[in-house]
Amino acid sequence: MALLEVTDLEVEFPLGRTTLQAIHGLSFKIDKGERVGIVGESGAGKSVAAFSILNLIAKPGRISAGTVFFEDTNLADLSPEDMQKIRGNRISMIFQDPMMTLNPVLTIGTQMVECLHAHRDISNEDAKRIAIEKLREVKIPSPEERFDNYPHQLSGGMRQRVVIAIALITEPGIIIADEPTTALDVTIQAEILALMLDLCRNHGVALILITHDLAVVSQVTQRIVVMYAGRVVEQGPTRDIITDARHPYTHGLIKALPQQNNAGARLNQIKGSMPTLDSIPKGCAFNPRCEFADGQCAESEPELRQVNNRLVACHHAETVSAHYAVEAK
Amino acid sequence: MEKIRLFLDSDFVFRFKRDRVAQGSFLVFLTILICSMAAPLLAPFDPYDPMQIDIMDSETPPIWQNVDKDSPFLLGTDPQGRDMLSTILYGTRISLMIGVFAVMLQCIIGISIGLISGYVGGRVDSFFMRLADIQLSFSTLMVAIIALALFQAAFGTELYSKVAIFMLILVIGIAEWPQYARTVRATVLAERKKEYVDAARVIGLSKRRIMFRHILPNTLSPILVISTVQVANAIISEAALSFLGLGMPVNKPSLGSLINAGFEFVFSGSWWITAIPSIVLVILILSINLLGDWLRDVLNPRLYKD
Repeated sequence: MALLEVTDLEVEFPLGRTTLQAIHGLSFKIDKGERVGIVGESGAGKSVAAFSILNLIAKPGRISAGTVFFEDTNLADLSPEDMQKIRGNRISMIFQDPMMTLNPVLTIGTQMVECLHAHRDISNEDAKRIAIEKLREVKIPSPEERFDNYPHQLSGGMRQRVVIAIALITEPGIIIADEPTTALDVTIQAEILALMLDLCRNHGVALILITHDLAVVSQVTQRIVVMYAGRVVEQGPTRDIITDARHPYTHGLIKALPQQNNAGARLNQIKGSMPTLDSIPKGCAFNPRCEFADGQCAESEPELRQVNNRLVACHHAETVSAHYAVEAK
Repeated sequence: MEKIRLFLDSDFVFRFKRDRVAQGSFLVFLTILICSMAAPLLAPFDPYDPMQIDIMDSETPPIWQNVDKDSPFLLGTDPQGRDMLSTILYGTRISLMIGVFAVMLQCIIGISIGLISGYVGGRVDSFFMRLADIQLSFSTLMVAIIALALFQAAFGTELYSKVAIFMLILVIGIAEWPQYARTVRATVLAERKKEYVDAARVIGLSKRRIMFRHILPNTLSPILVISTVQVANAIISEAALSFLGLGMPVNKPSLGSLINAGFEFVFSGSWWITAIPSIVLVILILSINLLGDWLRDVLNPRLYKD
């Protein structure tokens, strides 16, 4: 039994007379201690997917179908009280901007201890001891003194470490990290990623890493889920997807990465932009931007199907791979 | 000690040290506050003790206008022969108390409603905000006059004079809650969108805890600023009500009732009974408002004027 199993998840936002579908048939599994990346452009539904796991979708959004099984309970139909017991306790979340996620008027100690008090019956001294231990674990120097600091007294990287410490403090089964390094500069980014990787390994915590940055995902995760317009388009082991993408969209994302070995060359980009939720094209959602699109793509929506060791939702998965293999040579 | 040192080093103190107006008004306010709170010690007479009042002393002019230079009444006496200085000290104490407690009541009601409205939103928000709109469409004084007049009519003036101070606090407190509710709600609407609120929800904290522990401290600076203005407003409201005869009774006068008591004697030459309490009232209100202005500039330069 997987730790987290999302099956055919549908999330919709009723807006006046129309209903926008933000997530369409999302399915994926995460085993204990596994690290999975969810990748896609802005608006692909990555964050909505994360929030729907925690049952915290902004109103008026709602889960209209599908199940989210976590440790054998379906989170999608859990009562708000029971869900509150799981949030921050068994499932933690890390946000993009550590400047914003820490409350500016409370000391970091207060914010850490508070999380423990919310989920455990624990004395103040014990809570403080655990908090300081976690601060030490995320490699914050002199944690005893930092405990009484306010967020503005810490640097961006330190703040993100504190946020990670808060996420770890209740020994969760899974951490959802929503663009955890986007707001940090590149050197700090590498440190934070290395830290998260270490901590996940040492504690056996599973990780969902949501990002648009394939470089980040390839460093940390074992598996990748590529999303486009609320749908999964490709899913498989990180290494295989990075080296041999079967979906034209995944390919586009990889090609769009700046290459160090051909300076001055034009950056590749995927032409066009992600459709808004009220204008998702018929058939394959990617077809207007896809160079392989034909009549079939405009007509029928491709199902996720097994190709080699991964799942791809493309009518032309086999051709795509062969085509790019030739192009690469 | 550490906290005190930190406070003395703060921007707040720095700005205060450089602002003459703030220092001046703070000094004036502090003087009035201390003198009025220490009224039983400072006042030469006890205006509440009928044994010390002699009707023969009534309408004695202030010492500088008095032929009798040995008169014990520094600022003269009122129509009942009470020493003006003592009565003003006691009266200021009552005015300040009503002002502060009424504002505390406004705070409690307004902040709770504002927080809930802003955070919960939807129907709850609409309900409270329409309620506030309705409340604001009546002027504070009108509500207060109706409520106090009804109370006096229903329970008689004698009972009223005993509970007048509580009634004034209650009426002024309830009549002005929308000020707080609106300000707090507006700030909460801005704060709840911030990620730290999401983070708190993700940690699994309860709604109440997020509202009072995480959002409320972030709305404190506008609350602090309107509080100063509201204290001044509450004191003025009380004075106005007392002036209209609906406030503090004659035997326990506030500044407003003193002004009222002397009003009919102004044209017979006894100007001091009205003028001196008026001056005290004006100085008090002015110093509070100037402090409030300064506080607003320091705490939030972007805050719009009320």
